[in-house]
Amino acid sequence: MGKRIYKLKENISNTFELPKDIVLDVSKIIIIGTGQVTVENHKGIIEYSEEIIRINIGSSVMKLCGKNLSIKTILQEEITITGEITNIEF
Amino acid sequence: MFIIRIWNYLRGYAIIIVKGLKIERFINLAVVNNIYIWDIEKLDYTTVQAKIGLENFRRLRDIVRKTDSSVSILSKRGFPFIIRNIRRRRLFYFSLFLICVFIYAMSSFVWMIEITGAKDIDNENILRCLYNEGLKEGSWKGRLDIRHIENRVLINMPELSWIGIQIKGTKAIVEVVEKSEGPPLISRTDACDIVAAKDGVITKLLVLSGDPLVKDGDSVRKGQKLVTGTILRENLEPRQIHSLAKVSARTWYEDAEEIPLQQIEFKPTGKVARQYKLKLLDKELSRKRSVNFKDFNEYIEERYLISLGDYVFPIKLVEYRFEELEPRLKTLMVDEAKDKCTERLNARIKLRIPEDAVILDRKIDYYTDKKSVKAKISVEVLEDIGVKQKIN
Repeated sequence: MGKRIYKLKENISNTFELPKDIVLDVSKIIIIGTGQVTVENHKGIIEYSEEIIRINIGSSVMKLCGKNLSIKTILQEEITITGEITNIEF
Repeated sequence: MFIIRIWNYLRGYAIIIVKGLKIERFINLAVVNNIYIWDIEKLDYTTVQAKIGLENFRRLRDIVRKTDSSVSILSKRGFPFIIRNIRRRRLFYFSLFLICVFIYAMSSFVWMIEITGAKDIDNENILRCLYNEGLKEGSWKGRLDIRHIENRVLINMPELSWIGIQIKGTKAIVEVVEKSEGPPLISRTDACDIVAAKDGVITKLLVLSGDPLVKDGDSVRKGQKLVTGTILRENLEPRQIHSLAKVSARTWYEDAEEIPLQQIEFKPTGKVARQYKLKLLDKELSRKRSVNFKDFNEYIEERYLISLGDYVFPIKLVEYRFEELEPRLKTLMVDEAKDKCTERLNARIKLRIPEDAVILDRKIDYYTDKKSVKAKISVEVLEDIGVKQKIN
C-alpha cells in the first residue's frame, strides 16, 4: 500500500515536474563549496563530533566527515553545518 | 540569516555550555520543542558550546533533565543586557549624554576669530568693530547675519576696501583688504604750484608747464615754491594753470650712532621655569605666580586644548616660560664696535631713503675715544623732490 502511494507520487511529480523534495518528503541537500552543507527536511542528528556528523534524512543516514565541524543553525526543517568537509556518505 | 542574527541580538541571547553524554539527543529534543539554538560547536567529547535566545533558556530545563546533562551560561549578549548595563550605570551614561549635548551646543558658537590681510590696521581695531556689530568670541552662529556685519564694518571702517567673513566650525575667518591710500590727487583741471618736499640742491629742473622760480644749482629749502602755476605776463590778466615739472635734486640724509665699548650682555643660563594655567574665554583660571629669577625673558604661548579641525573650543592652556638671564660685562674691540655701528646705521638710513632715489655717495665717519665709538653716516642721493600744491 505505502509503496504504491510512493510510486504514484513519484509519477505525478515526474509528469507535472513538481519538486520531489516537497511531493515525496525527502531531504534536499545543498552543498556550498567544501565549507557548508544545508540539509532541508531532516529527521534529526544521530552523531555529532568535530570530525563526524551523522544526520537522519528519512530514507537513510547521511554521514559528513571533516574538520572543525559545527552546527551553524538547527531548526526543525533545516540544518546548516559549516567546517572543512572532506567526505559525504549515504 | 542576517536578519535572524539582528533579531537575536535585539532580543538578547546567551552563550551556554552543555555538558553530557547525550549531546545529539539534547540537540534533537531542543529542535523538536521549537527551541532555536545556533552556532553549536563541540569543545571536547562531552562539551558543547551553543547560543540560545533568552526566552528559550528556561525551556531547556526539561530537556536537561531528560538527557542527564548540565547547562551553564558563559556570557550574556545582546541589546537587553546593554540596556541593563546602562541602567545600572545611569549617572555615567547620563553625564556622557550631557557632555555630547554640551559639545554640540558649544559648537554652535563662534570661539575664535582669525583676521588675515591686515597690515597697517591693528587687528584690535577690527576686532572691536566686529564686536560692536555682534561678532565676538561666544556669539551664537545662528543669529549672525554675516552679510549685514560685513556691510556695517565696511561703513564703520573706511580704511578697509573689502571684508569677507567666513564661519568654519567654531572659527570665524575674517579676511580684510586695506585701502591703499596714495597722496591726495590734484585734478588736472585744478591750478597748482610745485614745492620742494625736502631740502636739497636742484640738479635738473624740467618744467612742462608753469613758470620756474629756481634754476639748476640752486639750493632749496623744504616747502619752497619751485614752479608757480600763476602766470603773469605783461598786458595780460594773470591766470592760473596746472603746473607740471620734474625736479631732480641732490639731498642728504644723516644719522649718528654711539656704541659704548663696555657692555652688559644678558645671556641665558639655561635655567628654565615653566608655569601653566588654563584660560576659559578671557578668564584665567589660576593665578600667575612670581618667578625667583632676577633677570629673565618671558615667553607666553597659548594653545587651544580642544580642537577638532575647524571646531575649536575656548579653553586655552597658557604656558609661561621663563628663561633666566645672567648679566655679563663684555668689552668690545674697537673694530667690532665700528662694524656694529655701521650695520645699525645702514639699516636705519635705508628705511628713510625712498626706493626710487639714486645713491650718489655714502660716507661714514668714526670717532673713537676710551669709552665708546661714535659713527656718523651721511648719504647723498638723487631724487625727485617736486610735490604739487594746490593754489588757494
